Amino acid sequence: MESVGSRTPRFVRIGALLGVAFLALPVVGLLKRVAWSTLWAQLTDVATRDALRISLYASVCATALAFLLGLPLAWCLARMQFSGRRIIRALVLLPMVLPPVVGGVALLGAYGKSNGLLGGVLNSLFGIQLTYSLWGVIIAETFVALPFLVLALEGGLRSIDTKYEEAAAVMGATDITRFVRVALPLLKPSLVAGLMLAWARALGEFGATITFAGNIQGRTQTAPLAVYTMLESNPEGAYALSFLLVAVSVAVLVGLRDRWIGGATT
Amino acid sequence: MISVHGIVEVGTFSREFSLDVGNEIVGMFGANGSGKTSVLRTIAGLCPLAQGELRVNDELTDAPAKNIFVLPEMRNIGMVFQDHSLFPFMTAIENASFPLQMRGVKRATAVKMAAEMLEQFGVAHIAQHMAPTLSGGQSQRVAIARALIGSPSAVLLDEPLSAIDEESRESVRNHIREHLVRLGVSAIVVSHDRAELDHLCTRIENYTR
Repeated sequence: MESVGSRTPRFVRIGALLGVAFLALPVVGLLKRVAWSTLWAQLTDVATRDALRISLYASVCATALAFLLGLPLAWCLARMQFSGRRIIRALVLLPMVLPPVVGGVALLGAYGKSNGLLGGVLNSLFGIQLTYSLWGVIIAETFVALPFLVLALEGGLRSIDTKYEEAAAVMGATDITRFVRVALPLLKPSLVAGLMLAWARALGEFGATITFAGNIQGRTQTAPLAVYTMLESNPEGAYALSFLLVAVSVAVLVGLRDRWIGGATT
Repeated sequence: MISVHGIVEVGTFSREFSLDVGNEIVGMFGANGSGKTSVLRTIAGLCPLAQGELRVNDELTDAPAKNIFVLPEMRNIGMVFQDHSLFPFMTAIENASFPLQMRGVKRATAVKMAAEMLEQFGVAHIAQHMAPTLSGGQSQRVAIARALIGSPSAVLLDEPLSAIDEESRESVRNHIREHLVRLGVSAIVVSHDRAELDHLCTRIENYTR
């Protein structure tokens, strides 16, 4: 017999069930529309293969770039006291709350070929064009993925007891050695979670990519853009590719289960 | 030789210390909050002196007025931390060999020397165990081995026997003493257990407030 305190009211249970149904229905709908007999053929189609190749390459590069930029940023936010820290944290969070299309427009303002603050200089001095190129895809994906990595790493760094780095210093470890041999191993769970979340976000990026890098098959068309394009011309292919992206997302969730999902269980 | 003459300040705690330690084992006795651990951290370079001077082996290592502060990694000090601070992602032997590797000893040699130290402190059988799986006593023995390994120029021990069971204390204490005599360096032992200090130290400084 449940005590009064632990008893869940019926309307709460019904509400929760409705919530589950709301989330599950689209997944079921998607699975129902997948043409299983032609799934492999659809996934190995040239356009799909190109989109997957670009998606995989760009999302891995974006995650690596997010790591290079995000780790120092997270370190400073977690460990340093400086004026403007709140503003920088708000700036880090901005791509999370910004409509991705607006993010793409902002990227055009910064790295656009003719009018971009930096893009114009890069183009006139070195002939480098970031828009409508694979680099454009990588930059757009890095822009939206970076906050996920910074938040995970910042949380991880805050939870690490600095006594281990102090002990290492007394034992003769220099700054870099302390970072590589002590801080990074302690940070590993947060780092893995952050990298997976950032990679998943990069892989699913749509709005900023289409605005900043375009939707050119074989050059900048990623898997989500291919799904959008194929939905009219080849719905079977769109559903096949969507299924693959759902499978990847589920794999990420399974990979993170202990840290993000299992953590909620008692 | 360790010489501290100045004000140690950590957060709201502040106290003036005047302490000279030759090639001997000096015990620091006092109640909680008397600054014993803070002075060890200051000597190790983990918190700077607020005022005054600190010398380790005649080298001025901390003198705020002269803008001198030698980084902890440059001081070559062996230290047992109160909570042991073993790296949780390493085995016992990896922990014990860490200071040697930091000072340029090749990994294989460092591991061999660490194995000998663990043997002496009676924890050779848990050499390959991960640090978080060790009992309090085992963890403390590994921490002692890690502090005494190699050739530190000074040794600081913060409550080094607190987790060691009564029966083994004398043996561990004798090994600590042997190593300190071999090293011929200044050593400071902090404890709130006066009897323990009487057994281990050549001189005792009382820091009861």
